[in-house]
Amino acid sequence: MRGIDIAIPKGQFAAIMGPSGSGKSTLLGLLAGLDNATSGQILLDGVDITGLTEDQMAEVRGRKIGFVFQSFQLIPTLTAEENVLLPAELAGTGPETVGRARELLTRVGLADRMDHYPVQLSGGEQQRVALARAFITKPPILLADEPTGNLDGRTGQQVLELLLELNRLEGATLVMVTHDAALAGHADRVITLRDGLIASDVLKAA
Amino acid sequence: MTRKTSPTRTAARIAWRETRASSGRFIFVILAVAAGVGALTGVRGFSRAFHTLLTRDARGFMAADLTIRTFQLPSPPQTELMERLAGRGIRRTQITETLTMAAPTGESTPVLISVKAVDPDVYPFYGEVKLNPPQNFKAALQPDAVVVADGVLLRLNAKLGDTVRIGGQSFRIVAEITNEPDRMTGSLNVGPRVMMSRAGLERTGLIVPGSRAAERFLFKVPPAIPILQVRNELKTVFKEGLIADYTEAHPLIEQGLRQSTTFLSLVSLVALVIGALGVATAIQAHLQQKMDSIAVMKCLGAKSSQILRIYILQTLGLGLVGSTLGIAVGSAVQLVFPVFLEKYFHLTSVPRFDPLSAFQGLLVGVLTVLLFTIPPLVGIRYIRPAVIFRREMAGPPQTLRERFQKALAPGIASIAILFFVGLLAAWLSDNARTGQYFAVGIAVAMLLLAGVAWILLRGLRFVSRHLPRAAGPVIRQGIANLYRPGNHAGAAVMALGVGVMFTVTVWIVQRGLLKDIIQTAPPGMPNVYLLDITAANKDDVYNLLKRQQGLEGDPEMLAAVSAQMQSIDGVVVQRDKLQGMARRFSRTVTVSTAPEKPRFTAVLSGEWWPAGTHPAEPLISVSESVAKVMNIHVGSVIVWTTPLRTITSKVVSLHKSESVRLTARVEFFFTPGALDGLPAIYYGGVRAKPAAVPQLQKALYTSFPTVTVVNMAEVLDTIQGIVDQISVVVRFISFFSILAGAVILASSVAGTRFRRIREVIILKTLGATRARIARIFSVEFLVIGTVAGLMGGLLAGGFAWLVLNKLLRAEASPDYLPMAVSVAGTALLAIGTGWAASYRTLGQKPLEILRDE
Repeated sequence: MRGIDIAIPKGQFAAIMGPSGSGKSTLLGLLAGLDNATSGQILLDGVDITGLTEDQMAEVRGRKIGFVFQSFQLIPTLTAEENVLLPAELAGTGPETVGRARELLTRVGLADRMDHYPVQLSGGEQQRVALARAFITKPPILLADEPTGNLDGRTGQQVLELLLELNRLEGATLVMVTHDAALAGHADRVITLRDGLIASDVLKAA
Repeated sequence: MTRKTSPTRTAARIAWRETRASSGRFIFVILAVAAGVGALTGVRGFSRAFHTLLTRDARGFMAADLTIRTFQLPSPPQTELMERLAGRGIRRTQITETLTMAAPTGESTPVLISVKAVDPDVYPFYGEVKLNPPQNFKAALQPDAVVVADGVLLRLNAKLGDTVRIGGQSFRIVAEITNEPDRMTGSLNVGPRVMMSRAGLERTGLIVPGSRAAERFLFKVPPAIPILQVRNELKTVFKEGLIADYTEAHPLIEQGLRQSTTFLSLVSLVALVIGALGVATAIQAHLQQKMDSIAVMKCLGAKSSQILRIYILQTLGLGLVGSTLGIAVGSAVQLVFPVFLEKYFHLTSVPRFDPLSAFQGLLVGVLTVLLFTIPPLVGIRYIRPAVIFRREMAGPPQTLRERFQKALAPGIASIAILFFVGLLAAWLSDNARTGQYFAVGIAVAMLLLAGVAWILLRGLRFVSRHLPRAAGPVIRQGIANLYRPGNHAGAAVMALGVGVMFTVTVWIVQRGLLKDIIQTAPPGMPNVYLLDITAANKDDVYNLLKRQQGLEGDPEMLAAVSAQMQSIDGVVVQRDKLQGMARRFSRTVTVSTAPEKPRFTAVLSGEWWPAGTHPAEPLISVSESVAKVMNIHVGSVIVWTTPLRTITSKVVSLHKSESVRLTARVEFFFTPGALDGLPAIYYGGVRAKPAAVPQLQKALYTSFPTVTVVNMAEVLDTIQGIVDQISVVVRFISFFSILAGAVILASSVAGTRFRRIREVIILKTLGATRARIARIFSVEFLVIGTVAGLMGGLLAGGFAWLVLNKLLRAEASPDYLPMAVSVAGTALLAIGTGWAASYRTLGQKPLEILRDE
């Protein structure tokens, strides 16, 4: 990535688009502190994360970032409810979080699937668990990597609607990587990358 | 969201959930740990129990833990020390042995007999005196009664119930002795033997200060006090006494104990490594599967320390469960197999469950699990969470510094593991040297195997690039599989190789040891000794023996001449200047001649004279043990006094005779002619069936009443029995550890199963048939198995040679059969288990897995 200079204000829904290999996922990884930038500076909620150690970064992620992945990335050995609980538990919260986990799972329509393991769930259901997980810690920032990329059109649409609705309710800043122009159509802002550079940055009129 | 819970509890909760959900996969890890710990517990427990049994039997041969033999009554300081020892719970009893004349009432000619006086209330501490007709020894040995050794009745021309006069007093002969535990340690060379109580001896008044008698003190030491410590204390005041502990009761027992202790300790260590190997491979495979989950957790905000905590707790739990299961298996082996052995191999006693080895097993299981868990977990720090986005994403090229940093933690961990195994080896082995050899052996083997695996993989890459297309895609793909990124061929070769090495080492050592044990208790060794045969009778005795029924070998005859050492290298041999054992050689000793090196004798330094040598200046070969005490070496000149003349002899060799042979009774051999004309008596030895011995004794006594017959048949039969037991147990334990080794090896191959699923799917998706995939994998398994078998076999050959020659001091020649079997066996094992473990993956439907992506 070269010469990237962007600021995403609080509450904004930004879509990142571009062809394969243009650097979309790399940008997302850098924003989440999953990768280290060779030069430059990344500020997350006012905090400079470029110089943070691995563990400090993990803590920042735990507090501030929710994740939704293209391939769901649920832990196969945990039930739906336990998967949702995991980030909260890693952050050291107590058992009262269980209530919120159940509430989130109910909101995504999985009230009767809480004790199922990922293999017992369909792709759409797995991604809905992942959505609930992303919001469990009430993160100010939500990063999504092609969240509907592995789902069929109809399921994808449902998941997207859920994502947007939850985001509205929770009031998080949303950064989403996508190939899908229709999906990007829902965003406040569309940033297009090509060969590691920003090719365009379009802010929709409110 | 404000209430915080303890990090460890959270970690434990997450660890438990993970474990619960995938119990099927964890069973594999648990079983591997169980197999390792089971091998360790079973082998160690059994060998400890067997060793206890063996030492108990060995104590039986001395009837005590420790004995002192002196020719004087104890001095005040000696008595004082023995009283002090008694205060510490060390029991003792005194035995007096002396010579006197005895005659049955009414017979005028008395016979020289040896009397052994014991306190029947405490004697013997171990073993049992058995009498014929059967009766209680304590009750039988009243002050006015004696029991006699076999052959005595014949000599005295008496029968049971007769009265015999000894030292002016009358004694009733109440029984014949059929078993006397310390027969071996008593004096051998004096005629008919009679046993009486100490009270009986006092009645005779035979022992007054200055009497020629041997005093033996038997000690029973409580288990908490080391025997060696007591021995050393006694040594300080009994300067001239011969002190021996139970391990020296008989040379065969001594050797059997020493060799079996070392061997069993070695096998336990091997079981440890095999067990650790099983644990390590299981844990590695387990964590490998967890890498994706770990990356996800990192994305969700988990710190490295949290992840470490979760997985350490998890593996610790698995280790505990596996170890407990292993202890159960090991204990079952300890309890069940001896019963089987007893039934079919007539072991005399069943070893019991051994809690110490169970504890050791648990500790080793858990510690090993932890040690092998930490290095891959330390690697977690380097797992980049971004893996989630792109599974196959290659990282940016690493600098040398980065590579070093990355290799540092696992490197330190590996050294720590090696150190830990060395420490464990030292702790578990009853012999410090075994521990040292072992730790070095592991280090060398690991380095060599790692080196070979590295060279192999690079070599294969080179070969496959230049492999003609004609070799076919299956072979090319199979070989390519070995060096493709993510393959653990190197690790598999190492794990398999180390396992093979130790397993085959046990096998080779066992074979060598058994050969050695059989040689030292050879089938034809004499069990009946004849003493005091005159020169005139020598040939007749020999012919009479040859005519007897039930002989199992040719009789041996040895001439014995009495001579006294006058000087060694010009230094006069003076009794006053000699200490302890050496004083014995200031008196008359028995010497003999030998035309050539006698059978069963080994020359340790110098050279024995060739057959036909008849030098004017006599040459002599001296037993190594005497040479040591008397400071004699090759080239020394010894001047001898004999009843007729003085002989000057030059030492040309130092030798060692098999202790069970007749020749071991003579410490000095001259060249032929050196002793001509001197009065000689002869010793004879023959191997006879125990049942045939009474008839043989009778025939000899009838024709040659002056010849003393010492019947060792019963005792030697018991010893042979013990040696046979050692062989059986050595075989059994080897079999068990070899079996455990095979199971672990199988699991280390099987550990790669999960990795294979993905490959199978991709190959299938691309149109490969199952048969083709099977062939590709077979090539891969075959290469890994053959290389590991070859390396393991070669290393085992070297290691076994070292163990046999340096630790067990057994004569060993290279043994090729186990090495050949190891190559073929490992290759087959790798293919077999590889398939057993991968079979199910072949049936996997591509979609099931691809949908997961």
